[in-house]
Amino acid sequence: MRAEANPNVIEVEGLTRLFGDFRAVDDVNFQVRRGEIFGYLGANGAGKSTTIRMLCGLLAPTGGRATVAGADIAREPQRVKERIGYMSQKFSLYMDLSVVENLNFFASAYGLAGAERRARIGDALAQADLEGKGDLVTRDLAGGVRQRLALASALLHRPPIIFLDEPTAGVDPVARRGFWRVIRELSRAGTTIFVTTHHLDEAELCHRVGLMVDGKLVALDTPEGLKRTHVPGTMMSVGGQGEGRARNIAAAVTGAPGVLAVQPFGLRVHVRVDDRLAAPAAFGAFLASRGLPADDVEVVEPGLEDVFLALVQR
Amino acid sequence: MSPFLRRTRAMALKEFRHMARDPQVVLLALAMPLVLILVFGYGVSFDVEHVPLAVVDQDRTAESRAFARAFSAAGTFDVVATPDDPRAVEPLFRQSLARAALIIPEGFTRARARGEAATAQMLVDGSDNATATIALGYGDAIGLTLAQAELPRGLSAPLEARVRTMFNPSLRSAVFIVPGLIVLVLVIVSVMLTALTVAREYEQGSMEQLFSTPVGRLEIILGKLAPYFLLGLVQVLLVLVVGVTLFDVPLRGSVGLIFLAASIFLLGELTYGLVISIITRSQMVAAQIAAISTFLPALILSDFIFPIDNMPPPLRFVSSLLPPRYLVHALRSIMLRGNGLETIVSDLLPMAGFFAVMLLIATRRFRRTVA
Repeated sequence: MRAEANPNVIEVEGLTRLFGDFRAVDDVNFQVRRGEIFGYLGANGAGKSTTIRMLCGLLAPTGGRATVAGADIAREPQRVKERIGYMSQKFSLYMDLSVVENLNFFASAYGLAGAERRARIGDALAQADLEGKGDLVTRDLAGGVRQRLALASALLHRPPIIFLDEPTAGVDPVARRGFWRVIRELSRAGTTIFVTTHHLDEAELCHRVGLMVDGKLVALDTPEGLKRTHVPGTMMSVGGQGEGRARNIAAAVTGAPGVLAVQPFGLRVHVRVDDRLAAPAAFGAFLASRGLPADDVEVVEPGLEDVFLALVQR
Repeated sequence: MSPFLRRTRAMALKEFRHMARDPQVVLLALAMPLVLILVFGYGVSFDVEHVPLAVVDQDRTAESRAFARAFSAAGTFDVVATPDDPRAVEPLFRQSLARAALIIPEGFTRARARGEAATAQMLVDGSDNATATIALGYGDAIGLTLAQAELPRGLSAPLEARVRTMFNPSLRSAVFIVPGLIVLVLVIVSVMLTALTVAREYEQGSMEQLFSTPVGRLEIILGKLAPYFLLGLVQVLLVLVVGVTLFDVPLRGSVGLIFLAASIFLLGELTYGLVISIITRSQMVAAQIAAISTFLPALILSDFIFPIDNMPPPLRFVSSLLPPRYLVHALRSIMLRGNGLETIVSDLLPMAGFFAVMLLIATRRFRRTVA
């Protein structure tokens, strides 16, 4: 089957990886469509990096199968590598080399030569806002600039898929925003993006999000779908004065009929309720019946953080 | 250009740039051979010169005096005493005033005139074994030269069978040190540097990035070898130039052949450095293993300083598995004896075999240890 005819550029079936007895990745199934921004969430050690490494042909799976851009990851890792870009968590560029030396190396590593290589390197410099600064030593670049250069360098060969493993770890919020703007542009241009992240606000920017817990993919949907499924009801944010107050509120409402979940949130308490208490008047009456003031209540949108907590605590 | 060559060249270029960004490394690599050849060439000398010599001339003829002068003229011996009695020699030895003594008995000249074997006695202080052995050798050489020079044509004098030192008649140590030194320099710097390179990529996480590109293992290995290979050849050149200009080391054979032998040796040793690096994945551990496992064989098992023929069989067997002795042998053969390719093939083959084995291990281990 030609990759172009198939809307899925990544297909994963029963993918499993053992390290000794430890099931780092356990029977994972999903598909990623062309141009999709696919977010992969999970705690440290949940199996995100192991999944990415297998999909990049860096690590052989113990079981199951997966194809990336039409190439089987176990049987044709070399073809996989030609068709993907990869930004690892720990390292992406040689710090002691200059910007252009890094780009030259990775361009040649991907088989680019001559005028094509020069053109692509020019594009990469532009993409990282480093035009005319190619002779700077990579170590001297700011973290955010370095990340964008790393991304540009992983895209030199115009791969249809790019894997980003925690690309914005340790990058300041402004640089992160710039980085995600590039990612969205790439996606619009048809590049598929597979990204792991710790930042739940970044996960909100993904088209679909998979959540890994202990090697298993426990949820996979759009951010909205995840919230609908896993955080149903209406989220009420109840204000409290001081820590003791918040705890009192939580204790007073937990387990009451109509209350689905209670979650401390800073000085406030997020109380998720079903239709019985969803109306502001009904909720106010409910609080009053518990001896709590109802003057500081807001309806809030549930975030992916609430999904994450709901699934991890399950 | 094939993708294989293009990627290998990209790897090599990258390694060159790492090296260029670290000028201390290059400086060390070039200073090391100079320091070593100066230390070994001037400091660690196996040459015996100015051995204090006592001459006991009981013959007291013009010829016996000429014979004694031949000893002092060479610069090897300094005549420090001329006692009349041979018994005076032992006290001189005991006080370390003399290390050797030449005793020319009465009748020396008469015996020579009759065409008989004229015997002069050479006494050496055996408590300094190295000096003694070499002084004896010199004594023999001088005596023989004299005997031949004064022999009338067509006449054969009844001479004792004596060893004659060929190719390095005065047994100057710089001459046989240089080949051994080349081996030492190559293993100290080049193996150490290659042992660090792969471990460094593992430590900084770049190995994973490399493996995510289509660059293959053999391409990584060859690319990493390239700059250190060239650096090693520059080191060989440096030692040769200093050896020839400063220490009059002869270059009787082909320089191309010297570099051919050194190249095969380098490939094997550098790949061995990579094997260490691939297995340990730690710069510190790799550096220690590289230092111990290459320096000692190069120094001890290479025939550089300690003759392999005198070693117990197990040690001789170990030395036969390691490349240093073959390069020392090949270089001596080319430089000092002026031998050609046909005589050093037996040295080149084992070195090439070592390279092949190391390359196999490197690619095998590399594959097994991916991410």
